[in-house]
Amino acid sequence: MLLLELFWSFVKIGFTSFGGLSMIPLISSEMISHGWMTAHEVSDIVAIAEMTPGPLGLNCATFAGMRAAGVLGAFIANLGALSPSLTLCVVAAIFFEHFQNNHRLGQVMTGVRPACVGMVAGVIVDLALVNYFEASKIHIPSVILGVTDLILLLKFKISIPLVILFSAAAGIILFGILGV
Amino acid sequence: MLEKLKICMKLYWQFFTFGSFTFGGGWSIVAQMKDLYVDKEKILTNEELFDITSIGRSLPGTMIGNIAMIFGHKLSGFFGGIACVFGMITVPMIILLLITTFYTAFQDNLWVASAMRGVRTAVAPVIISALLGMVKSAFKAPPFYVVAAAMFILYFCFNFSCVWLVVIGAVLGLIICEYYERVKKIVIA
Repeated sequence: MLLLELFWSFVKIGFTSFGGLSMIPLISSEMISHGWMTAHEVSDIVAIAEMTPGPLGLNCATFAGMRAAGVLGAFIANLGALSPSLTLCVVAAIFFEHFQNNHRLGQVMTGVRPACVGMVAGVIVDLALVNYFEASKIHIPSVILGVTDLILLLKFKISIPLVILFSAAAGIILFGILGV
Repeated sequence: MLEKLKICMKLYWQFFTFGSFTFGGGWSIVAQMKDLYVDKEKILTNEELFDITSIGRSLPGTMIGNIAMIFGHKLSGFFGGIACVFGMITVPMIILLLITTFYTAFQDNLWVASAMRGVRTAVAPVIISALLGMVKSAFKAPPFYVVAAAMFILYFCFNFSCVWLVVIGAVLGLIICEYYERVKKIVIA
Protein backbone atom coordinates (compact mmCIF):
# COMPACT_ATOMS: atom_id res chain seq x y z
CA MET A 1 0.00 0.00 0.00
CA LEU A 2 2.83 2.37 0.97
CA LEU A 3 4.66 1.38 -2.19
CA LEU A 4 1.59 2.13 -4.28
CA GLU A 5 1.19 5.51 -2.62
CA LEU A 6 4.86 6.28 -3.20
CA PHE A 7 4.61 5.25 -6.84
CA TRP A 8 1.49 7.35 -7.44
CA SER A 9 3.04 10.41 -5.77
CA PHE A 10 6.05 10.25 -8.06
CA VAL A 11 3.91 9.59 -11.13
CA LYS A 12 2.15 12.90 -10.34
CA ILE A 13 5.50 14.59 -9.78
CA GLY A 14 6.86 13.16 -13.05
CA PHE A 15 3.94 14.17 -15.22
CA THR A 16 3.72 17.74 -13.93
CA SER A 17 7.38 18.64 -13.96
CA PHE A 18 9.23 20.21 -16.83
CA GLY A 19 12.95 20.14 -16.28
CA GLY A 20 15.06 20.39 -13.15
CA LEU A 21 13.78 22.69 -10.49
CA SER A 22 10.17 22.80 -11.63
CA MET A 23 9.88 19.49 -9.75
CA ILE A 24 10.63 21.03 -6.37
CA PRO A 25 7.23 22.61 -5.60
CA LEU A 26 5.37 19.34 -6.12
CA ILE A 27 8.04 17.22 -4.44
CA SER A 28 7.93 19.51 -1.44
CA SER A 29 4.14 19.45 -1.08
CA GLU A 30 3.85 15.69 -1.72
CA MET A 31 6.64 14.77 0.71
CA ILE A 32 5.46 17.05 3.50
CA SER A 33 1.77 16.16 3.19
CA HIS A 34 2.55 12.41 3.33
CA GLY A 35 4.95 12.92 6.23
CA TRP A 36 7.82 11.34 4.28
CA MET A 37 10.05 14.37 4.82
CA THR A 38 10.11 17.53 6.90
CA ALA A 39 10.59 20.97 5.30
CA HIS A 40 14.20 20.91 6.49
CA GLU A 41 14.77 17.55 4.85
CA VAL A 42 13.34 18.87 1.57
CA SER A 43 16.00 21.61 1.67
CA ASP A 44 18.67 19.03 2.48
CA ILE A 45 17.73 16.76 -0.40
CA VAL A 46 17.73 19.66 -2.87
CA ALA A 47 21.28 20.48 -1.77
CA ILE A 48 22.40 16.83 -1.79
CA ALA A 49 20.82 16.26 -5.20
CA GLU A 50 22.66 19.27 -6.60
CA MET A 51 25.98 17.83 -5.45
CA THR A 52 25.61 14.24 -6.63
CA PRO A 53 25.35 12.96 -10.20
CA GLY A 54 21.94 12.37 -11.73
CA PRO A 55 18.81 14.45 -12.27
CA LEU A 56 17.34 16.27 -9.27
CA GLY A 57 13.92 14.63 -9.54
CA LEU A 58 15.35 11.11 -9.53
CA ASN A 59 17.69 11.86 -6.64
CA CYS A 60 14.73 13.13 -4.64
CA ALA A 61 12.82 9.98 -5.57
CA THR A 62 15.65 7.78 -4.31
CA PHE A 63 15.95 9.74 -1.05
CA ALA A 64 12.21 9.85 -0.33
CA GLY A 65 11.59 6.27 -1.44
CA MET A 66 14.47 4.91 0.63
CA ARG A 67 13.31 6.77 3.74
CA ALA A 68 9.71 5.75 3.30
CA ALA A 69 10.15 2.10 2.30
CA GLY A 70 13.80 1.05 1.89
CA VAL A 71 15.63 0.12 -1.30
CA LEU A 72 12.49 -1.25 -2.96
CA GLY A 73 10.77 2.05 -2.16
CA ALA A 74 13.61 3.95 -3.82
CA PHE A 75 13.28 1.84 -6.95
CA ILE A 76 9.48 2.22 -7.08
CA ALA A 77 9.74 5.99 -6.58
CA ASN A 78 12.28 6.20 -9.42
CA LEU A 79 9.95 4.22 -11.69
CA GLY A 80 7.16 6.67 -10.85
CA ALA A 81 9.30 9.71 -11.58
CA LEU A 82 10.41 8.08 -14.85
CA SER A 83 6.88 7.12 -15.90
CA PRO A 84 6.58 9.93 -18.50
CA SER A 85 9.86 8.76 -20.06
CA LEU A 86 8.64 5.15 -20.16
CA THR A 87 5.23 5.99 -21.65
CA LEU A 88 4.94 9.39 -23.37
CA CYS A 89 8.44 9.24 -24.81
CA VAL A 90 7.78 5.87 -26.43
CA VAL A 91 4.84 7.47 -28.23
CA ALA A 92 7.05 10.45 -29.08
CA ALA A 93 9.78 8.19 -30.43
CA ILE A 94 7.31 6.30 -32.65
CA PHE A 95 5.61 9.43 -33.97
CA PHE A 96 8.84 11.41 -33.97
CA GLU A 97 7.96 13.65 -36.93
CA HIS A 98 4.64 14.69 -35.39
CA PHE A 99 6.33 15.85 -32.23
CA GLN A 100 8.99 17.82 -34.06
CA ASN A 101 8.08 21.50 -33.99
CA ASN A 102 4.55 20.63 -32.92
CA HIS A 103 2.67 23.92 -32.72
CA ARG A 104 0.10 22.90 -30.08
CA LEU A 105 2.84 21.50 -27.84
CA GLY A 106 4.66 24.81 -28.23
CA GLN A 107 1.56 26.75 -27.19
CA VAL A 108 1.03 24.54 -24.14
CA MET A 109 4.66 24.95 -23.07
CA THR A 110 4.46 28.73 -23.54
CA GLY A 111 1.87 28.72 -20.76
CA VAL A 112 3.44 26.03 -18.59
CA ARG A 113 6.83 27.79 -18.36
CA PRO A 114 5.57 30.99 -16.64
CA ALA A 115 3.34 28.83 -14.42
CA CYS A 116 6.47 26.94 -13.31
CA VAL A 117 8.26 30.25 -12.65
CA GLY A 118 5.38 31.27 -10.36
CA MET A 119 5.41 27.94 -8.47
CA VAL A 120 9.19 27.87 -8.10
CA ALA A 121 9.08 31.45 -6.75
CA GLY A 122 6.49 30.20 -4.27
CA VAL A 123 8.69 27.33 -3.12
CA ILE A 124 11.65 29.70 -2.68
CA VAL A 125 9.58 31.74 -0.22
CA ASP A 126 8.38 28.52 1.47
CA LEU A 127 11.93 27.25 1.99
CA ALA A 128 13.26 30.68 3.01
CA LEU A 129 10.61 30.85 5.74
CA VAL A 130 11.95 27.57 7.14
CA ASN A 131 15.68 28.05 6.61
CA TYR A 132 16.20 31.66 7.72
CA PHE A 133 13.93 31.56 10.75
CA GLU A 134 14.34 29.94 14.14
CA ALA A 135 11.42 29.63 16.53
CA SER A 136 9.48 32.01 14.21
CA LYS A 137 12.14 34.70 14.61
CA ILE A 138 14.46 35.71 11.81
CA HIS A 139 17.93 34.20 12.28
CA ILE A 140 20.46 36.86 11.18
CA PRO A 141 23.60 34.64 10.75
CA SER A 142 21.65 32.34 8.41
CA VAL A 143 20.43 35.32 6.39
CA ILE A 144 23.95 36.71 6.07
CA LEU A 145 25.24 33.32 4.92
CA GLY A 146 22.36 33.04 2.42
CA VAL A 147 23.07 36.49 0.97
CA THR A 148 26.77 35.58 0.69
CA ASP A 149 25.80 32.40 -1.20
CA LEU A 150 23.61 34.39 -3.58
CA ILE A 151 26.42 36.86 -4.30
CA LEU A 152 28.89 34.00 -4.88
CA LEU A 153 26.47 32.39 -7.34
CA LEU A 154 25.27 35.43 -9.27
CA LYS A 155 28.13 37.92 -9.07
CA PHE A 156 31.16 35.62 -8.98
CA LYS A 157 29.60 32.75 -10.97
CA ILE A 158 30.93 30.13 -8.52
CA SER A 159 29.53 26.68 -9.36
CA ILE A 160 26.64 25.29 -7.32
CA PRO A 161 28.51 22.32 -5.75
CA LEU A 162 31.29 24.66 -4.58
CA VAL A 163 28.83 27.11 -3.05
CA ILE A 164 27.11 24.25 -1.21
CA LEU A 165 30.49 22.98 0.08
CA PHE A 166 31.33 26.52 1.21
CA SER A 167 28.00 26.73 3.08
CA ALA A 168 28.61 23.39 4.77
CA ALA A 169 32.03 24.59 5.98
CA ALA A 170 30.55 27.92 7.09
CA GLY A 171 27.78 26.02 8.88
CA ILE A 172 30.28 23.89 10.81
CA ILE A 173 32.18 27.03 11.88
CA LEU A 174 29.16 29.24 12.62
CA PHE A 175 26.70 26.80 14.15
CA GLY A 176 29.02 24.02 15.36
CA ILE A 177 32.11 25.81 16.70
CA LEU A 178 30.87 29.33 17.44
CA GLY A 179 27.36 28.16 18.30
CA VAL A 180 25.53 31.22 16.95
CA MET B 1 17.82 -11.38 -31.24
CA LEU B 2 21.34 -11.88 -29.91
CA GLU B 3 22.46 -8.88 -31.96
CA LYS B 4 19.75 -6.78 -30.33
CA LEU B 5 20.72 -7.92 -26.85
CA LYS B 6 24.31 -6.94 -27.62
CA ILE B 7 23.24 -3.44 -28.70
CA CYS B 8 21.15 -3.05 -25.53
CA MET B 9 24.08 -4.13 -23.34
CA LYS B 10 26.30 -1.63 -25.11
CA LEU B 11 23.75 1.16 -24.68
CA TYR B 12 23.32 0.28 -21.01
CA TRP B 13 27.07 0.50 -20.45
CA GLN B 14 27.43 3.78 -22.37
CA PHE B 15 24.64 5.46 -20.42
CA PHE B 16 26.02 3.93 -17.22
CA THR B 17 29.19 5.98 -17.81
CA PHE B 18 27.21 9.09 -18.89
CA GLY B 19 25.14 8.83 -15.71
CA SER B 20 28.22 8.72 -13.51
CA PHE B 21 29.37 12.17 -14.62
CA THR B 22 26.32 14.40 -14.48
CA PHE B 23 26.40 17.03 -11.81
CA GLY B 24 23.48 19.34 -11.22
CA GLY B 25 21.65 19.06 -14.49
CA GLY B 26 21.21 16.94 -17.56
CA TRP B 27 23.04 19.10 -20.08
CA SER B 28 26.35 17.37 -19.47
CA ILE B 29 24.77 14.10 -20.66
CA VAL B 30 23.71 15.79 -23.89
CA ALA B 31 27.29 17.03 -24.28
CA GLN B 32 28.65 13.51 -23.69
CA MET B 33 26.15 12.07 -26.18
CA LYS B 34 27.35 14.60 -28.75
CA ASP B 35 30.99 13.60 -28.17
CA LEU B 36 30.31 9.89 -28.50
CA TYR B 37 27.45 9.49 -31.00
CA VAL B 38 27.85 12.55 -33.20
CA ASP B 39 31.60 13.12 -33.25
CA LYS B 40 33.09 9.68 -32.61
CA GLU B 41 30.68 6.92 -33.70
CA LYS B 42 28.87 9.15 -36.23
CA ILE B 43 25.58 7.29 -35.81
CA LEU B 44 23.69 10.50 -35.04
CA THR B 45 23.74 13.95 -36.65
CA ASN B 46 23.81 17.19 -34.72
CA GLU B 47 20.31 17.99 -36.00
CA GLU B 48 18.94 14.65 -34.79
CA LEU B 49 20.43 15.18 -31.35
CA PHE B 50 18.98 18.68 -31.28
CA ASP B 51 15.52 17.34 -32.22
CA ILE B 52 15.68 14.58 -29.60
CA THR B 53 16.73 17.13 -26.99
CA SER B 54 14.00 19.62 -27.81
CA ILE B 55 11.29 16.94 -27.77
CA GLY B 56 12.66 15.46 -24.53
CA ARG B 57 12.62 18.92 -23.01
CA SER B 58 9.07 19.77 -23.98
CA LEU B 59 7.57 16.55 -22.59
CA PRO B 60 6.92 16.21 -18.86
CA GLY B 61 9.35 14.30 -16.66
CA THR B 62 13.10 14.44 -16.20
CA MET B 63 14.60 15.84 -19.37
CA ILE B 64 17.47 13.42 -19.49
CA GLY B 65 15.27 10.38 -18.85
CA ASN B 66 13.16 11.47 -21.80
CA ILE B 67 16.19 12.04 -24.02
CA ALA B 68 17.67 8.65 -23.08
CA MET B 69 14.37 6.89 -23.85
CA ILE B 70 13.82 8.57 -27.23
CA PHE B 71 17.43 8.01 -28.26
CA GLY B 72 17.48 4.36 -27.18
CA HIS B 73 14.14 3.72 -28.86
CA LYS B 74 15.40 5.26 -32.08
CA LEU B 75 18.45 2.99 -32.05
CA SER B 76 17.04 -0.28 -30.84
CA GLY B 77 13.33 -0.08 -30.03
CA PHE B 78 11.61 -0.12 -26.63
CA PHE B 79 14.25 -2.23 -24.89
CA GLY B 80 17.02 -0.02 -26.24
CA GLY B 81 15.27 2.90 -24.55
CA ILE B 82 14.90 0.95 -21.31
CA ALA B 83 18.61 0.04 -21.43
CA CYS B 84 19.59 3.73 -21.77
CA VAL B 85 17.25 4.95 -19.02
CA PHE B 86 18.25 2.32 -16.47
CA GLY B 87 21.92 2.59 -17.41
CA MET B 88 21.77 6.30 -16.71
CA ILE B 89 20.14 6.00 -13.29
CA THR B 90 22.24 3.12 -11.90
CA VAL B 91 25.21 5.05 -10.48
CA PRO B 92 23.25 8.11 -9.22
CA MET B 93 20.82 5.77 -7.48
CA ILE B 94 23.53 3.75 -5.72
CA ILE B 95 25.29 6.93 -4.58
CA LEU B 96 22.04 8.43 -3.30
CA LEU B 97 21.14 5.19 -1.47
CA LEU B 98 24.49 5.34 0.35
CA ILE B 99 24.11 9.04 1.15
CA THR B 100 20.56 8.54 2.41
CA THR B 101 21.74 5.76 4.71
CA PHE B 102 24.50 7.96 6.15
CA TYR B 103 22.25 11.00 6.33
CA THR B 104 19.65 9.08 8.29
CA ALA B 105 22.29 7.70 10.67
CA PHE B 106 24.20 10.95 11.27
CA GLN B 107 21.43 13.53 10.92
CA ASP B 108 21.52 14.33 14.64
CA ASN B 109 25.29 14.41 15.00
CA LEU B 110 26.35 17.98 15.98
CA TRP B 111 28.86 18.43 13.13
CA VAL B 112 26.63 16.96 10.46
CA ALA B 113 23.67 18.97 11.73
CA SER B 114 25.73 22.20 11.70
CA ALA B 115 26.99 21.51 8.18
CA MET B 116 23.44 20.80 6.98
CA ARG B 117 22.19 24.00 8.62
CA GLY B 118 24.79 25.89 6.64
CA VAL B 119 23.87 24.02 3.47
CA ARG B 120 20.18 24.88 3.93
CA THR B 121 20.97 28.59 3.73
CA ALA B 122 22.34 27.94 0.23
CA VAL B 123 19.21 26.22 -1.08
CA ALA B 124 17.08 29.33 -1.71
CA PRO B 125 20.00 31.11 -3.48
CA VAL B 126 20.64 28.02 -5.62
CA ILE B 127 16.99 27.88 -6.69
CA ILE B 128 16.94 31.67 -7.29
CA SER B 129 19.95 31.42 -9.62
CA ALA B 130 18.28 28.57 -11.53
CA LEU B 131 15.00 30.51 -11.67
CA LEU B 132 16.76 33.48 -13.25
CA GLY B 133 17.90 31.11 -16.00
CA MET B 134 14.29 29.96 -16.55
CA VAL B 135 12.92 33.52 -16.64
CA LYS B 136 14.67 34.33 -19.94
CA SER B 137 12.57 31.92 -21.98
CA ALA B 138 9.42 31.98 -19.86
CA PHE B 139 7.80 35.26 -20.86
CA LYS B 140 7.00 35.29 -24.56
CA ALA B 141 4.32 38.01 -24.17
CA PRO B 142 3.21 40.41 -21.40
CA PRO B 143 0.16 38.37 -20.27
CA PHE B 144 2.50 35.61 -19.13
CA TYR B 145 3.81 37.83 -16.34
CA VAL B 146 0.25 37.83 -15.02
CA VAL B 147 0.13 34.02 -15.37
CA ALA B 148 3.32 33.65 -13.29
CA ALA B 149 2.07 36.08 -10.62
CA ALA B 150 -1.32 34.36 -10.44
CA MET B 151 0.30 30.91 -10.07
CA PHE B 152 2.56 32.25 -7.33
CA ILE B 153 -0.46 33.54 -5.38
CA LEU B 154 -2.48 30.34 -5.94
CA TYR B 155 0.46 28.20 -4.82
CA PHE B 156 1.66 30.28 -1.91
CA CYS B 157 -1.51 31.84 -0.48
CA PHE B 158 -4.15 29.27 -1.42
CA ASN B 159 -2.10 26.04 -1.38
CA PHE B 160 -3.32 25.01 -4.81
CA SER B 161 -2.00 21.63 -5.97
CA CYS B 162 0.88 21.92 -8.47
CA VAL B 163 -0.88 19.46 -10.76
CA TRP B 164 -3.72 21.93 -11.24
CA LEU B 165 -1.39 24.88 -11.63
CA VAL B 166 0.42 23.13 -14.48
CA VAL B 167 -2.91 22.27 -16.14
CA ILE B 168 -4.14 25.88 -15.75
CA GLY B 169 -0.83 27.12 -17.18
CA ALA B 170 -1.19 24.78 -20.18
CA VAL B 171 -4.77 25.93 -20.89
CA LEU B 172 -3.83 29.61 -20.53
CA GLY B 173 -0.88 29.00 -22.88
CA LEU B 174 -3.26 27.65 -25.55
CA ILE B 175 -5.75 30.51 -25.08
CA ILE B 176 -3.21 33.34 -24.99
CA CYS B 177 -1.20 32.01 -27.95
CA GLU B 178 -4.37 31.52 -30.02
CA TYR B 179 -5.51 35.06 -29.12
CA TYR B 180 -2.20 36.51 -30.28
CA GLU B 181 -2.29 34.51 -33.51
CA ARG B 182 -5.90 35.25 -34.43
CA VAL B 183 -6.40 38.81 -33.18
CA LYS B 184 -2.92 40.30 -33.26
CA LYS B 185 -1.56 38.07 -36.05
CA ILE B 186 1.65 37.34 -34.13
CA VAL B 187 2.95 33.82 -33.58
CA ILE B 188 4.58 33.64 -30.16
CA ALA B 189 4.71 29.92 -29.38
